[in-house]
Amino acid sequence: MRFVCLTFFRQYAARAVKALAVFLVLLAGGAYATNYSLWINGRSNPNAQAGNHADFTYWGPASTAAGVNKKSVNWDGFSRVSDQNYRIRDALDCYCTGNNWCYIAAHSAGNLQIGYALSLYGGTERSKKNATPNASGVCGNSDGATQTGWNIKWVDVAAGAGGGSELANVGSWAVSDPLTSDLKTATARALYDHNQTRSKWLYMYAGSRGTLYSAVLPGQDDEAVAYHSSGGVSGSGGAGFCNPSDWFCNDLTLGTAATEGGKAKWSFHSVAFRDDGEALNHYTNGAWGGVVSKVRADMAANAN
Amino acid sequence: MTRRAKALWLGGALVALAVLGWYGWGTDSEAAGTHGATAGASQVSGAAASIGGVSQPAGAGGGPYSEAGMQSRQEQLVLWRGRYERAEQVYASYRDATRYPYDSRPIAEHPDQVRPFAPITEELKLRNSNGDEVKGLRLRTSQERVFLSGKESVKFTVAVRDENDRPLPLVIRNARAQSIPDSRAPIKLVQTSVVFSDDGTGADDASGDGTYSGRLTPATQGFENAGGTIRLLVDLAADGQQGVAHFDVVYMPDVPATWAGVREALEAGSLNFYLKAQVRQAGRYVVSARVDDANGVPFALLQFNDEVAAGTREFKLQVFGALVLDKNPAFPLRVRDVDGFLLIPDKFPDRSTMARQVGVAHVSASYPKSRFSSAEWNSEERQRYLAEYGKDAETARRRVEEFAGP
Repeated sequence: MRFVCLTFFRQYAARAVKALAVFLVLLAGGAYATNYSLWINGRSNPNAQAGNHADFTYWGPASTAAGVNKKSVNWDGFSRVSDQNYRIRDALDCYCTGNNWCYIAAHSAGNLQIGYALSLYGGTERSKKNATPNASGVCGNSDGATQTGWNIKWVDVAAGAGGGSELANVGSWAVSDPLTSDLKTATARALYDHNQTRSKWLYMYAGSRGTLYSAVLPGQDDEAVAYHSSGGVSGSGGAGFCNPSDWFCNDLTLGTAATEGGKAKWSFHSVAFRDDGEALNHYTNGAWGGVVSKVRADMAANAN
Repeated sequence: MTRRAKALWLGGALVALAVLGWYGWGTDSEAAGTHGATAGASQVSGAAASIGGVSQPAGAGGGPYSEAGMQSRQEQLVLWRGRYERAEQVYASYRDATRYPYDSRPIAEHPDQVRPFAPITEELKLRNSNGDEVKGLRLRTSQERVFLSGKESVKFTVAVRDENDRPLPLVIRNARAQSIPDSRAPIKLVQTSVVFSDDGTGADDASGDGTYSGRLTPATQGFENAGGTIRLLVDLAADGQQGVAHFDVVYMPDVPATWAGVREALEAGSLNFYLKAQVRQAGRYVVSARVDDANGVPFALLQFNDEVAAGTREFKLQVFGALVLDKNPAFPLRVRDVDGFLLIPDKFPDRSTMARQVGVAHVSASYPKSRFSSAEWNSEERQRYLAEYGKDAETARRRVEEFAGP
């Protein structure tokens, strides 16, 4: 027995001590790397607890696979983007600093929130955090150090409202929440430089099962936003883009290419899904539904 | 360190040692087992088990995997090929894009920032005040800007076109601007009228062209103490039918800083423009400027985003050396269309704008290309990203090889 133990320690002691040293250094610095999946909701989120990153009420059952270590950012979906953007920055600080990295999924006005954060705050100094939020969604500092910007691998956007919605322009959303003012097409597009993503990719998922408001929304839409927004097309609102099956309307192209008719997409925006089957609308319906279903599937498969 | 903390550390270290000892033993055992086995079936069986496949003896049924195992392996291969493709694209595009810093970019990357002061134009179906479509008529609008401060004004235009794109004469029945609450807090309501005309005077450029123009100057029309959203509703009639146009602007009474000239310096292989300003309010400023070459060809977008103290300050905007060498613009360069604002975190309005510098603000000297550096941009941020993206791509590549292999 003694011989066996000695042999073990001769053989493995150096390796174990080395591994232990590394482990302790990592432990002391909170340096072990973890990936997270952050979900940023859109307009109208009255039933979720703001800042509670475990509350997936907006999306659907929390048990559904939606990417590694998924967190729900939960801003109020009611106030102006600038009023609530701290919720997004708090979550990014929590999970996407130090050795931790994030995949982001955003829905509808969540597109404006992540775009605003990246464009205006993406190069600011951030305190490295410990990924342990308090009840308000704020994490403690890890080692007192800072870094420039956040650690983000890529961003999936479902039914993105980064370019605003004509429904906000004409007051079709009768409720006068402050957010609707930000969703007017002129305002949404002037809010920040949408091309400044600090080289993070925004993969755009655009639905087209729109019926109710199709007379208001130009081109193809998902009942809340038109393809000019959900496809990340630059320029003014009001432009109509469609699926290739529609001969009387310029196509929203897949990928980064300009639309038919030559409208450029914002930089680092790529159309990953175009709803040629007109099967998906805007709404999650509390069940990861609509266009969000496509983003959820991508996050479940590739946010690892 | 307290005794309790020391005890916790010691305990943790012992536990960690035990865990790592077990881990090291286990790992080595597996390695020994792998090396001891003949290359082929047993090793592949291990891989198949790890992805949920059920192995078959080599030779039985013509291969080492069951049908379910093969299918699982194929699914994993497809998954990892997709991940690899994305990871490679993310890595390569990041590496290429960050050859220049984020604040010194080819303007082609910012297609809607080339002409920042062009009016925002939109064309939609005409609707009445109930939101119902007015058949056969389209509303064409423009607004000069969304954000304004101090004594700045904003021009609006409206026009209605028929199905043949012909302008129709309008009757502007009412044009009223009013403050809009931006939160649940009640606000003092401010209202004023805005005069629209098509007579070629005031805000209107051309008489009788069917485009009616009006101008709002918040500071002199009752909003001097009312920062926030101002909504303009224009009630109009065209072809005997009524319609409505909506516009929003965001106004701040205070001007946080004023411009005070530009100087330039060629430093460390890059050309820096220092935009001087008298800063009244300290805080984070966001400034953008466009650079055209000597032939008027748009070349670069320069941006500044940093904390600035009050007083006489300079905003440094850099034309990065490698960008000059790569794009080869004709000198002298022209700095034009400068805009800036104080970014106010976590509030609405979130910005207080500086006066726009419309047109050319500065013309540079001419410099030989030899004075510019070809070095690509480097920073901790870039290295951090390249390391992570590179690691992801390499991991995915290995998994593809693993699942594609025999």
